[in-house]
Order: sequence, then C-alpha cells, then structure tokens
Amino acid sequence: MKKELKICLPIYKILYSAAFVLILSFVRGITFVDEIGIALESPIALLTVIFCADTYLVELHNKRRDVFRLFPVKKQTTAILRRLLIQMIYLVFIAIAGYGMFYWQKPGEVMGGITSGTAFGQFLAAIPGTVLFWGIFSMTICNVVRNMWAGIGITMCIWLTLVSQAGSDFLGKWNVFSYMFRDTDQWKDLSWMYGKSLSVILAVLLILLIPVVLKKRG
Amino acid sequence: MSIKIQDLTVTFKNGVTAVNHADLLIPGGIYGLLGENGAGKTTLMRVLTTVLKPTGGNVTIDGMLYSEGNYEKIQKKIGYLPQEIDLYPQLTVRECLEYMGELSGVEKTECKKRIDKYLEKTSLAEHQKKKMRQLSGGMKRRVGLVQALLNEPDFLIVDEPTTGLDPEERIRIRNLLVDFAEDRTVLFSTHVVEDLAATCNQLAVMKKGEFLFAGNVRDLLNAAKGHVWSCHVEEDWMARKLEEKYHISAKQYTDRGMQLRLISERRPGIECEPCEATLEDAYIYMTNEF
Repeated sequence: MKKELKICLPIYKILYSAAFVLILSFVRGITFVDEIGIALESPIALLTVIFCADTYLVELHNKRRDVFRLFPVKKQTTAILRRLLIQMIYLVFIAIAGYGMFYWQKPGEVMGGITSGTAFGQFLAAIPGTVLFWGIFSMTICNVVRNMWAGIGITMCIWLTLVSQAGSDFLGKWNVFSYMFRDTDQWKDLSWMYGKSLSVILAVLLILLIPVVLKKRG
Repeated sequence: MSIKIQDLTVTFKNGVTAVNHADLLIPGGIYGLLGENGAGKTTLMRVLTTVLKPTGGNVTIDGMLYSEGNYEKIQKKIGYLPQEIDLYPQLTVRECLEYMGELSGVEKTECKKRIDKYLEKTSLAEHQKKKMRQLSGGMKRRVGLVQALLNEPDFLIVDEPTTGLDPEERIRIRNLLVDFAEDRTVLFSTHVVEDLAATCNQLAVMKKGEFLFAGNVRDLLNAAKGHVWSCHVEEDWMARKLEEKYHISAKQYTDRGMQLRLISERRPGIECEPCEATLEDAYIYMTNEF
C-alpha cells in the first residue's frame, strides 16, 4: 500500500488539488452554510475526473504497460483498486478540507433552517458517492479509449450534461448530482440519496468491469 | 523450452507490415535476434509477450498455441525487458522491484532473496536505496533487467538490454544472461553485433520484417567466407572514396595508415587480401545486396 501511495499521489497532484479547492473557496461566493456543499460537489467531481484519469494509463505513459500486462489480471486489478482507493480517500479528505476553507466567508445559518453540523453531515454522506463514481468512471473511460485527454474530454461532456439544469430536470432525484440540486429549504428531504445510491451502484458495476477492460483494452 | 513461429504476419492499421510471413524456431539456450532499427524485432517480441496479436500465422511455446485462452498461462512463463521502460520514478530501486515482484506473484521472502541475488549480480546492491529517478540510464536498464528476471521465467525476452551500459557492465550483463539461459530460453535482441558474438551460438537476422538468416553463428560466418577483404590506405580521403564503392565493416588507424575491412561479392579492384569473417562482417554481408 505504501508503494501505491507513492505511485498514485505524486507531489504535483497534491499541489494542484490543494490549490484547486483553495482557489474555489476564494472565488465561489456563499452566504449560508447549506450552500457550501452545493458549491463544492460538482467542482470536486471535476477534480476527481482529472485526478483519477491516469490511474492505469500512467503505466502506458511510462512505457511500463507491456510489462504490467504480463502480471496476472487479478494482481493488476488489485493494484488498480488500491490506487483508486488511496486517491479517493485523499479526494474526500481534500473535499472536507475545502468545506472548512469556505468558512473564511463566515456563512450564516438560516433561522429554523439546517444547522452547520447537519449541513456538514449531509455533505459527508454525499461526497464519497460523488468521488467514488466520478473517479471510477473517468478511469474506465480513459482505459477504454486508451487516451487520457480523450477520456477526460468524454467524461467532462457527461459531467456537463448532468450538472446542467436539463440534466437535473430529466433525471431528478436519480441524477448523480442530486445532492447539489436538492431544495435546501426542504433540508429534511433526503430523496437526493437516490442519486447517490445510484452513483455507488454504477461505481460497483464499473469496478466489476475493470478486469474485462484490462484484458481487452489494457 | 522451444518457441515455434509459423507464417507470422503483423500488419498495422496504417498498412505497414512489420513482420512478414516469418518462420522461426527458437530452441533452448540463448538465441540472438539481430537486425537494424525498424527491422521488426520489437514487433516480433511484442507478439511473443502476448502484448500484440498477430494478423496472421501462429506461435507455440512448448506446443501451447498463442491464443487468448492460453495467454494467462503463457504470460506466467515470460519475463520481458522492453526497449524503453520508465520504472516507478517515485520508488527506490528495492521498492520498485518488491512491487513488481509482488505483482508477478512471487512469494514475499523468495522475492527478497531473488532481489538480493540479482542486485548483486548487476552491481546495483549499493544503489538499492536510491530513487529510480536518480539513476543513470545504464542503471535503470539494469533494474529493468532485474524486474524481468524476478519471476525466473522459462522464456526471457530482452530488447537491447545493454543499451547505455559501460563496457564492464556490458560484459557482466552478457554473462548474467548466458548463465540464466543454461536451463531456459533467452531471446536476446540487439543491433549491437558484438553482444551477440560474445553470447549466442544461435541467431536470426531480420530485415524489413523477414528473416534473412536463422541458424548457428558458424553457418552465418561461412556464408560470408570469401567476401571479406582487408586493405590499407594512407589518407582519409582514400578511405572515404572506398566507402562510396564498397560496404566497409571496420576502420582502424594503424602504423601503415588506415586499415579497412571491405565486404564485397568479388575481389575488390584494389590491393587487398582476403580475411576471416567476423560476425559483424557476416551481418553486413547478409543484410546488404550486392
């Protein structure tokens, strides 16, 4: 695990991801605590897309692919899953740190509305689903097209569709961004969990596809 | 272990045929694969490692056909050092080898023993705590070779293993490969004739995707017999003039001026004497049309 940590979390990735959430907390204005999660979810999804895109393709870029392919598929899959897990834990951590950074804007609580603690709790429940889905989705698309930038491009088009109002209108509570589109006045309504559950289910299906993708397109 | 290649063809999507109806039998021991850049050696090796699927023909390893169903079994028998490989720059030499050993399924304690053994044999033991990105090109090449040896494969494929090595290291690596090939098959691809002359008794010469020769070194040398000539010239310009007319396999300054080795189908029309062919001469004779 220590070796995978060094492989998939190089300094440059740590630096750009930290800078990303820091800048976001400066440029994205919020007034109330329940807006922090909304401000963070889709940018964190975008960061995850770029962050996880080369999880396997790094083997191709560094010309190690021909050797990596000789390892048993089970071992290859395990190595990739470990890398994903490390990156996702890191991204959830950076999202939480980003959440904290927004407090410099001194957001308030609406009288009778959601408290800071509950808003943070809901964010904590939603963000791992976002990171899980977009991380695995981005890596899978990149592996299938065998090109990181093309993969990122395709994934970003899908991200753009889902993050749009049209995406929200069409998919409603089943949108993977359902947390972002929820009605913050109805903070006790947890129907956004449908979208998050769907994210997790889709991510699990994509995980099951990893050995197939490695065999066919690795 | 023997590898049989029959009517193998690899044509890329852009229409380039890198291997053209090639037939070859690679027996046990160390087998040389010689050819100029772009001859199709790397493509052939990528087929043999199962990375690339051929467009035609077939390959068998100890009678087992290269087919998708057998790939996993075949991959376990193979160790591969590609021509270019950039091993994990963030890891130390030891970490990198431990990681690759773990991925290839070698048991942990056995893996450590093998790493120690091969680091010693490649003179890398003192560099094992260095990060991969801190190593010189030659050192990286040696680490690449060690990773290929870690699972002690039955069939080792090495593509230009001596690139970037100093003369002493070159000899050490060649000896390591010869020792390793004692009870295994090693396919040693290079365009450096000297490396093969020092290690292989059997070799194949490739050009434009085809085998021009496959057999033992003696037969290759015999083919060039009577076509190698030695002559002396006093001035450099005279040597250059001869170069335009003949294939020159070697040039050397001596007390009599410059000594040249000429490859020619017939006796050249200058003062010269026939001489014994070296592997380099034979390779030039084989790969050039007269």
